[in-house]
Amino acid sequence: MVSKQQLQIVYGITIALLVIGVIAYAAAPVSAPDQPIRIMFKNVGGNVLFDHKTHTHDSGYGISCLDCHHTSEEGETQPELCGDCHESSSDDEDMPNRTDAFHIMCKNCHADLEVVTAPVDCSGCHFTAN
Amino acid sequence: MLNQNKFVVSHAPFWHNGSSVTERTYHTILAALPAVFFGIIQYGWPAISVVSLSVSTAILWELLLNRFTKRPATIGDGNAALLGLIFGMMIPAAAPWWAVLTGTFITVVIGKQIFGGIGGNVFHPVLVALAILKVSWGDFFDHDIALVNFDLNFAGIHPLSALKYYGVAAIDRFTITGLLLGQQAGGIGATFGLGLLLGGIYLMLRGFIRWEIALTFLAGVFVTASIFNLADASRFAGPVFHIVTGYTLIGAFFLATEDSSSPVNFLPMLIYGFGGGIMTVLIRNIGVYPDGVIFAILVMNLVHPLLDKIRPKALGKEV
Repeated sequence: MVSKQQLQIVYGITIALLVIGVIAYAAAPVSAPDQPIRIMFKNVGGNVLFDHKTHTHDSGYGISCLDCHHTSEEGETQPELCGDCHESSSDDEDMPNRTDAFHIMCKNCHADLEVVTAPVDCSGCHFTAN
Repeated sequence: MLNQNKFVVSHAPFWHNGSSVTERTYHTILAALPAVFFGIIQYGWPAISVVSLSVSTAILWELLLNRFTKRPATIGDGNAALLGLIFGMMIPAAAPWWAVLTGTFITVVIGKQIFGGIGGNVFHPVLVALAILKVSWGDFFDHDIALVNFDLNFAGIHPLSALKYYGVAAIDRFTITGLLLGQQAGGIGATFGLGLLLGGIYLMLRGFIRWEIALTFLAGVFVTASIFNLADASRFAGPVFHIVTGYTLIGAFFLATEDSSSPVNFLPMLIYGFGGGIMTVLIRNIGVYPDGVIFAILVMNLVHPLLDKIRPKALGKEV
């Protein structure tokens, strides 16, 4: 049997946690940082978890923004996004669709590197159950 | 004959030793706190938001149901708070508020109160909620997707996803010590293995959970993962990796041992725990999901009434 005093303590804790929860959700929402950390590319071939920070940061591979965001200019802090030009489906021969653009960009770079950690086969990037 | 164990009962009056449901739930909450605090340190304010909202709304749903069904308030026993806490521990820190609210509603109302409240639920209420939410809004509860905006000082991919999708070679980046110390993506309070282990040992020593279930669950995972690993080490990870990753430890100590949805007799408890461990690794290694703990324990919850048919022989009854 729970005493009235115990019940009051539970009421107090509930209200306190509710207030903390609501304030914390409002004050500190989870939002995407200016420079992405990881990006999940969802697609029918199996999702791809791209570690943007590891590719760009000096402690990682230190790749220049321009190597991938090829339309940007030197020193630009907000490069154009891939999807701004490369649409999900495209008949334009000069503008590959998004899937082709990613495949060309990622695979060519990985193939040039010739290191084991840079996969070029499908299952090296796509989430496909083994 | 002289050394025969006998159950000796003294004569009346009897004295209650003070143990209660309330004591049990608050000690379980206490045992879970190290893992929760670790999650809060790791993920910061978002983790505080999720856990606070999860615990408070679980209590409020229960209170609302108490009022609605015109029954006395049961929130004082701490069970709703415990369920809210475990739900909060298992979901990613980026879970939106409405998902937490829906999750605690399913946990408390559909998982527990519909069955008549504490002690009446067939399945672990939190697992019912997680299974429904994972099927309904998988992306919000997929740790790989939900945690993309968190800058972690270890590999951002969930270790079981790395194993499932990229094979054994991809788990070289994880060390057992690191995984045990929480260096893995996952639920807020489900990744700090050492904290969960200490909490579990405390609960077992105090008799708040049954060691028979917790240890056989881990043994089931260990043995099954060892068999797979011995059969083909190039495809299947070793047993220790399976024990320290995903929901294994929180499953062994805080989920499988829930008293209403687990057996009470000795042999059934061993079968239940071991079966849960086997199912976990089967789902992980040959199933679709990277982690199998949720569905493995739900399946064992389902068969537990059958397992409890295995009873000790009644005294004095002729065979």
